[in-house]
Amino acid sequence: MVERLANRIKERRTELGFTQAELAERVDVTRKTVNTVENGIFTPSATLAIKLARALELSVEQLFWLER
Amino acid sequence: MAEASISERAERLSRRRARLLPILGILFLTQQASYFMGPGFGTGDRAVDHVRITAWLALSTILLLALATGGGWIYRREVRDLANDESTRAHRDAGFRWGFIVTIAAALGVYVLSMVEPISVQEAVHVIVTAGMLTALLRFGFLERRAQRDG
Repeated sequence: MVERLANRIKERRTELGFTQAELAERVDVTRKTVNTVENGIFTPSATLAIKLARALELSVEQLFWLER
Repeated sequence: MAEASISERAERLSRRRARLLPILGILFLTQQASYFMGPGFGTGDRAVDHVRITAWLALSTILLLALATGGGWIYRREVRDLANDESTRAHRDAGFRWGFIVTIAAALGVYVLSMVEPISVQEAVHVIVTAGMLTALLRFGFLERRAQRDG
């Protein structure tokens, strides 16, 4: 069974009033990378997942989860 | 006018690269077409052939370096580092992976073809390098363009 890494980045980012570009700047990546992670196209490294979770004031487990 | 921030410059570099890669791929392919279709093809003994082959070698080297490093050499180190973030590196790796597979497939194809049709070393190298390089460029470019969309 294939598992997919789902996330609530867009939802949380919107709650905090960040654009993709602003979030990207906070975690030292390009907007494109935030866009691909947010849309589930790209699976981030553990380092980036932790940085994103910190920037969005959540734990990694609250931000990302596995979906079947 | 205020100077653009590092992230804005990296974004610009990233977008330019995504637009430029397929164009460079097509330019590279066109150059190959002119090599194979031009007069005196395969002989390489006229001045014009030397120029053509030198241009091909130069473009191949530049494209290989651009693929390996991410290009954007005129930009500052911080800008290039940001533009080559982890999704870009993953896309480039995917480009290299596809390029490698197509290179080996092209080499095998040329080997089989050489059993029925004589083919010079230069021609074989042109076909193999073109197939591998074009595939890597187009795959990297496609993934980068897709990543830029749906913002």
